Amino acid sequence: MSGGVPVLSVEDLHVWFDLPGGGELHAVQGVSFDLYEGDRMGLVGESGCGKTTTILAIMGLLPSTASVSGKVILNGTDILVGGEATISPHRWKDISMVFQGAMNAFDPVKTVGDQIAEPMVLHGMATRKSARPRVAELLELVGIAGDRADRYPHEFSGGMRQRAAIAMALACSPRVLLADEPTTALDVMVQAQILELLVRLSTTLGQELGLTVILVTHDLPVVAQVCDRAAVMYAGEIVEMGRMSAIYHDPRHPYSRMLFSATPDLLGDGEVISIPGAPPRLDREIVGCPFTPRCDSAFEPCGTIRPRRVEPVAGHEARCHLNDAGLTGVAS
Amino acid sequence: MRGADYVVKRVAFALLTVFIAITLNFVLFRALSGDAVSALRCRQCSAAFKEAQRRDLGLDKSKWEQYTLYLRDLSRFDLGNSVPSEKPVRGELVEPIKNSLPMIALGTLFAIVFGTLVGVISAWRRGTAVDKGGLYTALGFYSMPTQWLGLMLIFFVASAVGLPSSGIKTPTLGLFTDASTWDLLIDRMKHMILPALTLGLVLYGDYALIVRSAMLETLGEDYVLTARAKGLKNWAIVRRHGLRNAMLPIITLVALSLGFIIGGSITVEYVFSYPGLGLLTVEAIDKRDFPLLQAIFMLLTISVIFFNLLADLLYFKFDPRVTT
Amino acid sequence: MSLIEPIQAADEDSLAHGIAKTSRPGFVRSTLLGNRAAMVGLGIIGFFVFVAIFAPWLEPYDPTEKVGPVYAPPSSEFWLGTDDGGGDMLSLLIAGSRVSLGVGFLAALVAILIGGTVGVLSGYFGGATDTVLMRFTDYMLVIPDIPLMIIAAALFGRNLTNIVVIIGIIYWTSTARLIRAQVKSVRERVYVKRAQALGAGNRRLVFKHVLPQVAPLLIANTVLMIALAIFAETFITFLGLGDPSTISWGRLIENAFTGEATINNAWWAIVPPGVCVTIVILACTMVGQSVEDGLNPRLRVGHVSVKRFRVRPAGTKAADK
Repeated sequence: MSGGVPVLSVEDLHVWFDLPGGGELHAVQGVSFDLYEGDRMGLVGESGCGKTTTILAIMGLLPSTASVSGKVILNGTDILVGGEATISPHRWKDISMVFQGAMNAFDPVKTVGDQIAEPMVLHGMATRKSARPRVAELLELVGIAGDRADRYPHEFSGGMRQRAAIAMALACSPRVLLADEPTTALDVMVQAQILELLVRLSTTLGQELGLTVILVTHDLPVVAQVCDRAAVMYAGEIVEMGRMSAIYHDPRHPYSRMLFSATPDLLGDGEVISIPGAPPRLDREIVGCPFTPRCDSAFEPCGTIRPRRVEPVAGHEARCHLNDAGLTGVAS
Repeated sequence: MRGADYVVKRVAFALLTVFIAITLNFVLFRALSGDAVSALRCRQCSAAFKEAQRRDLGLDKSKWEQYTLYLRDLSRFDLGNSVPSEKPVRGELVEPIKNSLPMIALGTLFAIVFGTLVGVISAWRRGTAVDKGGLYTALGFYSMPTQWLGLMLIFFVASAVGLPSSGIKTPTLGLFTDASTWDLLIDRMKHMILPALTLGLVLYGDYALIVRSAMLETLGEDYVLTARAKGLKNWAIVRRHGLRNAMLPIITLVALSLGFIIGGSITVEYVFSYPGLGLLTVEAIDKRDFPLLQAIFMLLTISVIFFNLLADLLYFKFDPRVTT
Repeated sequence: MSLIEPIQAADEDSLAHGIAKTSRPGFVRSTLLGNRAAMVGLGIIGFFVFVAIFAPWLEPYDPTEKVGPVYAPPSSEFWLGTDDGGGDMLSLLIAGSRVSLGVGFLAALVAILIGGTVGVLSGYFGGATDTVLMRFTDYMLVIPDIPLMIIAAALFGRNLTNIVVIIGIIYWTSTARLIRAQVKSVRERVYVKRAQALGAGNRRLVFKHVLPQVAPLLIANTVLMIALAIFAETFITFLGLGDPSTISWGRLIENAFTGEATINNAWWAIVPPGVCVTIVILACTMVGQSVEDGLNPRLRVGHVSVKRFRVRPAGTKAADK
């Protein structure tokens, strides 16, 4: 984390979804973080914890059933305040995204090259012709032969399409790249390739490109390898955030601790001891700490008082009463 | 050429189907003729008369003989003779086909143009009043019985707008005074408009629903979300990614429906007394003119097979994913 | 590699992409109840079914009798005027609902039974059965429906039973295809295979596991078939091939045509029967289509929308530091 002005700053982001039968689902409950240039932040949690919704909200890609509040500050301006109108000019140019299941991100009737060039042409950065060399360059960057630009998506393998999707996301030289589960649904060999690409993107390449990455995943070994910061999400909020090594070796929230101890080791083969129980429903107000029913260290205040964000160690925050000196009277 | 063998395969399959259709046609109509003759109950229908009928229709020969004769005749484009008029069927078909085709083409064109327009706009503006309007007008016309719509148009529109409500030409035209080719043409067109409109409106309902559905499905695809993430505006997404992809199922469905259009035009021609293939079919059924019916039926079946093949090939041409 | 699977009524991922998941039990009910168009459609059908059932009590006059002058315009005596035989249009209309709806339902039933059986057999047993049945279906599909129907009606059926059977025989093919596809995908599902492993016989598997999964689609298809059958009946009757002893909406339209209602300016003989047919078919299409749409999750997701997500002022809910 370098000092200076954050590239992206999210303040108290909330997202609600209208439910078909009436009522709302409070999918994101007050997410805040600052992202500095060069950061590689991992956003981890179970399915349904709100991580995908968070990054979709940053891109403004929520459906019409959603409402948001909070701020998303990019280069000093709040782009969320005007909704679609203020966010859309920044799409792909400043922030871009690689979707979950990016294999389907390509239009089957257009060539891959055309689609990579599309945002460049759209934002007036090039014409279809002048974009060709850059398209080839981008493909080479992700390990695909440049002359494949004129092929159709179905002629690429799943892994190649995933890499092409990453190339496409870099087309307009964005400052922030949001990657949602880029390795899910790929076989092990391909996962390794993508992982390696992500590591390169986060380090050497990233530095060259001035890239900041948010990696969303439920796959802990991936996060450990690629990211230098991590934010753990549960029930719509960030329950712990800090340097990767800090969280890995000194988790301050029982959830993170149980998560990381459940993973055999970095080269895990996929079998995970699951944490018993299920996440709470988000369509009703939660009293106290949302993790209480599944927590092994729950005590008196957990069931009634919502934990507030505290920083037991500099740069390492957690939402848990165990860390709250004010409550326990003891600094753990 | 990509997939030349695919094309060959499909054409071969279509030809095989045509052959089977021809055979089924034969079976069906020989059986019907046989039934009809034995069911004849009229004053002159003594046994001798029935025998004579049978011989006329060639029913006294063995099944196989009849079949081979049938095939041989077909290869010479001899479709037999019409029962009541005793003239070659082939000749009887020419005029009606010449009358039907432009009328149907006009109606279908109308339906395709407006159906696509309404369907695309409906899907693009999904959920708005525009969508609801398009959807319900399409559903409305789709639900109307064709003949009733024809009657309604005759009743409410024909006299109001000064269009003829039956036939294909004004009987008095060119009778007492010279009528120029242009006049004849205009007269023809006037007689075509209402039947074509009737057909077109019902088809429009069908096509608008198809297009809207196909477009909605396409707009739910992942690559559409990606396009939105890239910063494309709604209409640009529809134009660039939506149309091309939705075209595929639309073309297939439309081509398939074309094969059945004559059936749909039967009632239209009946209501408007429009002397086309549809009306001919009804008359042939009425007069139990089996050779004629057999020929018409075969024509219709072949047209269905042809349009199926067309749909296949078009899909193949436009979808880069389809390989042999 | 995933952690625990949450069993929530609403899935966050789907919501984020705009789909609202519905829970399993009572699925058909939730599609219908949530969808106003389907409810309206169902109401309309219900209304006409009611009229059809209670027709004899609802008719103001005996529809077969001449009770007034020929083509009399609507009046307080005859709300919808009279037809070319002096019969009361309103009574005729009410009486006609019985045959039109009856033929529609029965013919649809025939089509569904044939098509459903073929589809289930084909999809479930696969292999040779499937190939043979599907080839047969393909050839049936190639035959032009309306001409065949008309010929068959001309030759065999001038009574209602025959007409019902004819319509059913011509239109079973689309159901067969639909059901076959659905059965195939259901068959692959784990629990059916599991039941097989435990030794459940074919009969039991089909009835207990496959059919319930296929049922919603079958229902949607049935409703659409009813619409098609009513349509077909009007065609057959219009060409003079219907049952001469019965009254149906199709016959009323035919009467208007042969009785030259247009020339007599008798709009009341032309408009009402067609309107009834159109409304019923429209209602059936609305119901059938909305159930089918409900079963197709991809139609619910729309990435292109004129409506946008909303921005709320800060500090609306749980505000904490």
